[in-house]
Amino acid sequence: TAQQDLPVSNGKQYEIGEISVVGAKQYNEQTVIAFTRLRSGDLVYLPGDRISNVIKKLWDLDLFSDINLYATINGDKVDLKFEIEEVPELNKVTINGIKEKKAKDIIKDNDLNKGTKVTENLITKTKFYIENKYKKEGYLNSKVTIITRPATDTVETQKVDMLVNVELSDRVKIEDIEFIGNEQLSDAKLRKQMKNTKQKNIIRFWKRSKYIAENFAEDKVSVVDKYKENGFRDARIISDTLIHSGEDLITLKLYVEEGNKYHIGDIDFLGNTVYSDKELARQLGLEKGDVYNGVLLKERISKDGDPNADDLSNLYKNSGYLFSTINPVETKVENDTIDFEIRITEGKLAYFDRITITGNDKTKDRVIYRNLRTRPGQRYSQAAVLQTTRELGQTGFFDPEQLNPQFLNANPYDGTIDINYALVEQGASQIELQGGYGGGGFVGTLGLSFNNFSIQNLFNKDAYQPLPMGDGQKFSLRAQASTFYQTYSASLTEPWLGGKKPVQLQLSFSHSIQYRFDFNNRSRGRPDKDSRFLITGGSIGLAKRLEVPDNYFTISHAISFQHFDLKNYNVGLFTFGNGSSENLAYTVGISRNETDINPIFPRTGSKFSLTAKLTPPYSLWNGTDYKALADERAAASIEATQAGRERVAEIDQERFNWLEYYKVKFEGQWFTSLVGKFVLSSKVDFGFLGAYNNDRGIPPFDRFYLGGDGLGGYALDGREVIRLRGYPNQSVLPQDRSQTTTSLDRNDGATIFNKFEFELRYPITLKPSASIYALMFAEAGASFDNFRNYNPFLMNRSAGAGVRIYMPAFGLLGIDFGYGFDPIPGTVGGPNGWETHFIIGQQF
Amino acid sequence: CSEYQKALKSEDTGVKYSMADSLYNAGKYRKSLKLWEQIVPAYRGKPQAERIMFLYADAQYQEENYYLAGYQFDRFVSAYPDSDKAEEAEYKAAVSYAELSPNYQLDQSETEKGLTQLQQFITSYPESSYAEDANERIKELSIKMQKKSFEIAKGWHKIMQYPAAISSLDDFLSDYPGSPFREAAFFYKLDSQYQYGSKSINVLVKPRLEEAIEMYETLINYFPEGDYRAQADEIKADIDSILENYS
Repeated sequence: TAQQDLPVSNGKQYEIGEISVVGAKQYNEQTVIAFTRLRSGDLVYLPGDRISNVIKKLWDLDLFSDINLYATINGDKVDLKFEIEEVPELNKVTINGIKEKKAKDIIKDNDLNKGTKVTENLITKTKFYIENKYKKEGYLNSKVTIITRPATDTVETQKVDMLVNVELSDRVKIEDIEFIGNEQLSDAKLRKQMKNTKQKNIIRFWKRSKYIAENFAEDKVSVVDKYKENGFRDARIISDTLIHSGEDLITLKLYVEEGNKYHIGDIDFLGNTVYSDKELARQLGLEKGDVYNGVLLKERISKDGDPNADDLSNLYKNSGYLFSTINPVETKVENDTIDFEIRITEGKLAYFDRITITGNDKTKDRVIYRNLRTRPGQRYSQAAVLQTTRELGQTGFFDPEQLNPQFLNANPYDGTIDINYALVEQGASQIELQGGYGGGGFVGTLGLSFNNFSIQNLFNKDAYQPLPMGDGQKFSLRAQASTFYQTYSASLTEPWLGGKKPVQLQLSFSHSIQYRFDFNNRSRGRPDKDSRFLITGGSIGLAKRLEVPDNYFTISHAISFQHFDLKNYNVGLFTFGNGSSENLAYTVGISRNETDINPIFPRTGSKFSLTAKLTPPYSLWNGTDYKALADERAAASIEATQAGRERVAEIDQERFNWLEYYKVKFEGQWFTSLVGKFVLSSKVDFGFLGAYNNDRGIPPFDRFYLGGDGLGGYALDGREVIRLRGYPNQSVLPQDRSQTTTSLDRNDGATIFNKFEFELRYPITLKPSASIYALMFAEAGASFDNFRNYNPFLMNRSAGAGVRIYMPAFGLLGIDFGYGFDPIPGTVGGPNGWETHFIIGQQF
Repeated sequence: CSEYQKALKSEDTGVKYSMADSLYNAGKYRKSLKLWEQIVPAYRGKPQAERIMFLYADAQYQEENYYLAGYQFDRFVSAYPDSDKAEEAEYKAAVSYAELSPNYQLDQSETEKGLTQLQQFITSYPESSYAEDANERIKELSIKMQKKSFEIAKGWHKIMQYPAAISSLDDFLSDYPGSPFREAAFFYKLDSQYQYGSKSINVLVKPRLEEAIEMYETLINYFPEGDYRAQADEIKADIDSILENYS
């Protein structure tokens, strides 16, 4: 296709004769001609579009500092001669007048690298950049000069050295900010409004006094706003002057005209049909006789930048009137009283039309759409948009900090609006690979957790990229082994079983085996394979989101089964060394989770859960006389003979053949945003384990262990480890435990516990690659054997600080230093003192 | 040390060029790619660059590195719009984007890009020997877009959000008048309205089911002998029996 060519004004067509290029050094003549795409023999208009485009294209290359075209006309023919001057390349930059490090930053920010083309633009840009940079730091009168000269230390003549001279003026400080004409508000009060323009003051070391024109302009607006807040509707700054009041000192003078102080008169609402005058007046919250505060009035009607604000326009928007407009109009000014009309155009009710999603490279549409609370045809609600954003963030599949609902095609005539949720996928898989010494030998752990798995594609070869992903299932596998124990576990969670309703199915399986430490002298330190403890178990659970009382509630059911098998395993807990035990239980739980978008670092909201784990009450029907057994056991254990001990073991085997207990737990956590980015997390925990039949007693399994980092480790007996920093792991014994037994024997878990925790968190970074936050905590907890001895004030207290790092590929890592203020129950002595805790894995 | 290794390490771009060329002609695209990569910058602005850029892009294309192939062919077309190879390059750039199009359940930016480029190709070269294939691909991609849109709308029906299903099926029907999913869309609209109507509060059952009957009539009017006819008739019969109680 030929290039478009049109004559300009009375341009004439010529045939191109010779084309030549003068001045090319780096590029050869042919290259330049080829670039122009002009060929000898072509017909061109002179003057004409094609020729001017050629010149423009050459300029656009940014390779030439001068381009001239000479045309020699010879009848119908024209010879073209391009005279070009190539832009020199940068050889070396020298920056004088500032520190080397700053100079390096400047070089980096302006790309002043060797080989950069030194155009006029580059020089101007660099000059402007440096001047501005120093102005911002208070060097008001700095001068920057840039000169270039041909490089001397190279043979290539088209290279230049750049010499930048920075002449820093002394830093200008503001000696005084004076206000003239202010009677109602003091100088000090007005100065306080100026956030970035401050008088010099030795005490205020955190903010330097400097003069930056833009900041000053903003601060003047703040001053006027302050007047408006106090009823001075007409206040203005008539003029301001800047006076050099000494060497490197300036004085700012502001002439203020305050005007009258006004009060609110009658407020009338016009155009409202959806809400009554009374409802609107209540929402507005301003009353007749109040000082006229223009700023507040504006905020009460519509507060900029806060989609959650409790203002009039959101009242309308949350009930679907997206296209409503609200304007306050002053109708009458009498003396110092202003009457208002608030004019409301309610507009059409808005409905969502098209809801689209972009950016889902891994996660399938249906996995996302089913979580949306904004649906096509539904009435517009800002609250639904915010809740959707929150819930998408909590899936963990997308970067919560980049979740962005975009409103498109707002159509006030049809009353429709489209939303596009722009998502950015984030790594949702975690790998845990550990090796180390612990528990008497080498311990290796391999854990894999896939948070956005696709189990239906497990056998589909094409879906492995590198793993089958995108169906929103969670699949994890974990194996841990040492010479003394091995555990294997697998779990699968499908959040929408059947795809119709948010019914979550959870399956899990685990198997573990533990050998005893061999006390035999010859093989001491090795596992004794003849003495082992085996646990095999699984569970199946369903959880369902509720709509009543609100849609943050979830109810869950689970059935779990565990089989314990002991062989020659006579330690601590178990009076029977050979035998087995079955643990069949039903767990029901209700929970409510209303935390905000980011699950790693929630800033607001709360979550609660209440669960009850129940086993069947076998003792009701199995006909065993547990009272008699309990009496016999008591008698046998006093005997302290071999036969007595064996009888105790036999009785215990009978008591615990099918475990019988119930367990109730409550957990509540609140997040509160404090000043700045600080967030306070407050948490309470209660747990109670009880028996249906007191003669049969509470089994030694499923108990609570308080203290330390709260990490499960290899728990064989269904124990629940409760975090209490500032004390060694699982060390905090029940408060009412007898003090005569040795601490090892006594550590067999508690049946009651409570715990309170406050954590003050501060985010250091919340990037998707790594979220880091620092925290300070104060917590207290206690456990008990018996409700009779329960005392909420008898607690082990601690406080400390730590840090958490969350990386998508590794999960949560952290370290805490805690100080225990109290002694461990049962021991005498002072405070427990400092403990260091390493946190691995998710824990909120 | 093979000839190829020598060429890779050689300082002489000429050696690399002829080696890359002969590897390309022999169909050994992966090996030739490594050499092209090395010499493309050196020839920039030189007369040979046109040929080298094309062969480099084509080697990427043959190796199914569609991401790079699309980009390189695009660059080639904008640098040499008058080239004899421009037509082929434009076609292959479009095909590269089309090949990147993922499963319909994922983000379809590449599909849209492929569609635009293929359409552009056909507009610029209606007589091209590639035009037939390009048309075929356009059809394939647009069916994918239709399937996506239809499945999303059907998804609302599946999670029992019937008004949402009706609204988005309406959008689907107006967006794709000639779609193969049209009958299914009419049917799911009918079923949504039927489910929605029959589960409504008493006073709304009648008007909503009457609306469903209209939808039934539209469906059998367009597709009197369609795949969904039997199911639709069942629904119609059920609606009639419910409405008897409301007459």
